[in-house]
Amino acid sequence: MSDELDRIRREMHSVLQPEGVRPDDSLKITRRTFIHGSLIFGAATVGQTFAWWPLLNTLDIAHAAEAPFKFAWISDTHLYPRSLNTRFVDKVVRAAQEVQAMDPPADFLIFGGDLAQLGKIEELELGVDLLKEVKIPKHYIPGEHDWYLDMGKKWGELFGRPNWTFDHKGVRFIGLDTVSRGPDYWTAKNMTPEERMGHMATLDGTVAGPWAGVGRDQLDWMEKTLADWDKTKPVIIFSHNPLYEYYPPWNFWVRDWREVHEVLKPYSKVTNIHGHVHQVLYNEIGTLRSIGMLATSWPWPYAPEGVPKLTKPMIRVDPGDPFDGVGWEKIDVAATDEIKTEYIMWGRKEVFVQSAEDYDKNVSEIIRPRMADNMWPY
Amino acid sequence: MTTRSKFRLPLRRFALLGGITIAAVFAGPSSAHKDPVTPAQLRAYQEVFMEQVRKGDLLFHGDQKMAEQLGVAEDLSKTGMACAMCHPMASDTHPQSFPKFQAQMAKFATLRDMINWCIEKPNQGVKIDPESEAMKALEAYITWSNTGSVLQPGKF
Ligand SMILES: [Fe+2]
Ligand SMILES: [Fe+2]
Repeated sequence: MSDELDRIRREMHSVLQPEGVRPDDSLKITRRTFIHGSLIFGAATVGQTFAWWPLLNTLDIAHAAEAPFKFAWISDTHLYPRSLNTRFVDKVVRAAQEVQAMDPPADFLIFGGDLAQLGKIEELELGVDLLKEVKIPKHYIPGEHDWYLDMGKKWGELFGRPNWTFDHKGVRFIGLDTVSRGPDYWTAKNMTPEERMGHMATLDGTVAGPWAGVGRDQLDWMEKTLADWDKTKPVIIFSHNPLYEYYPPWNFWVRDWREVHEVLKPYSKVTNIHGHVHQVLYNEIGTLRSIGMLATSWPWPYAPEGVPKLTKPMIRVDPGDPFDGVGWEKIDVAATDEIKTEYIMWGRKEVFVQSAEDYDKNVSEIIRPRMADNMWPY
Repeated sequence: MTTRSKFRLPLRRFALLGGITIAAVFAGPSSAHKDPVTPAQLRAYQEVFMEQVRKGDLLFHGDQKMAEQLGVAEDLSKTGMACAMCHPMASDTHPQSFPKFQAQMAKFATLRDMINWCIEKPNQGVKIDPESEAMKALEAYITWSNTGSVLQPGKF
């Protein structure tokens, strides 16, 4: 871990993790595996020391959801035009069919962003078309790939406001837009919309910078949205990016995570479900727990540093199988407020690593940022 | 993945290398006195390497112009996928683990074999010549990006 990251981690902990404050213990991540198995496992294989990290959940459950229900999550489909890439299309078709076939049915579907690969009208419309298979209510939040060709114009026409809220069976749901407030890297360099999109669409690019953020205006909106909500009742927040700092060079964070946690601190049962990372992730900060979701398109490797200690890593995938390492999720909200996340990773019985060799960091690596996108004429 | 490139390094580089070649000829192979390496030479060698890294970085990130320049635009990918989409910063390419038995190919393989496998399978493209400039550039970028990784040949 770099000194800088280590410093931020410690700061994050000291600011957000006062003595004795922990998320409640009502969360499970399954493919039939209880999350806390990860603690022992992580310590043994990842080999990093997070001595200051809280290791147990202790809060009691005060309020319950009014009735048990399920919802589904699909994200990061990264659709190209149908003629260019049929594999990505096939996987969206499969996810949509499986969501629609859920029995009992899910109450709604959340689409977590990156519907398109390069923000094209054709790509976004293809996504809408493929998801018509899903007949339950659908709620969309944007990803950076959806946005930076036309700055969200087409996305807005198709899906409306990028942030929203609704209450469902005793849970307050909030959808956040963590992508549209990127600093302007294009005007001074006279980029075309395609060039702007190209830099944004390159995860390890060095030009688009720290684009992921919630923004003061949206934070104020979230604060207002939560003001009338009982602080012990469950809140579930959807965002494209994780709401903590995991790996800034790939925007596996929001840059204003400190402010986000200031707003959320009073609430004892907050769960954040996010996309963008294309991988299994779990983290707890203060009273907030975060769950990272799979893509349908392709998996990202774990970042070279900063993987939360509480994450039980997903299995190292076979790059020869387009259905490996990807899929969608069922989320079960029980009357006791338990939230169970089931990763539907196609073609895998075991979603999580079973041995050190199953982890993509089994071969230790030291890597560095790219250089060619920052050379003249940029 | 639309990144552009311009060529200005190569010109300077060739001028420098030309200078070096001439100097070597003057010294002559019959002379028993080889000169210590000069800062100018080191700079020139480094520039040659970094120019290949730059080309490889662009290819790896799906730059169409560079692929055309190196004659592999039709080969590297037919799905829109670029190497960096699964390997940001060339992570998980593990050049330090080659050569090794590669399960996907069921054979003892080099990094170049693996690059070609990725071009053929996930990218649904066409294998490139293992001795081509494009392959060497990809190899240069991948190994450069993994500078500092410890050699672990044969590791799964
Ligand atoms: Fe994505
Ligand atoms: Fe994303």
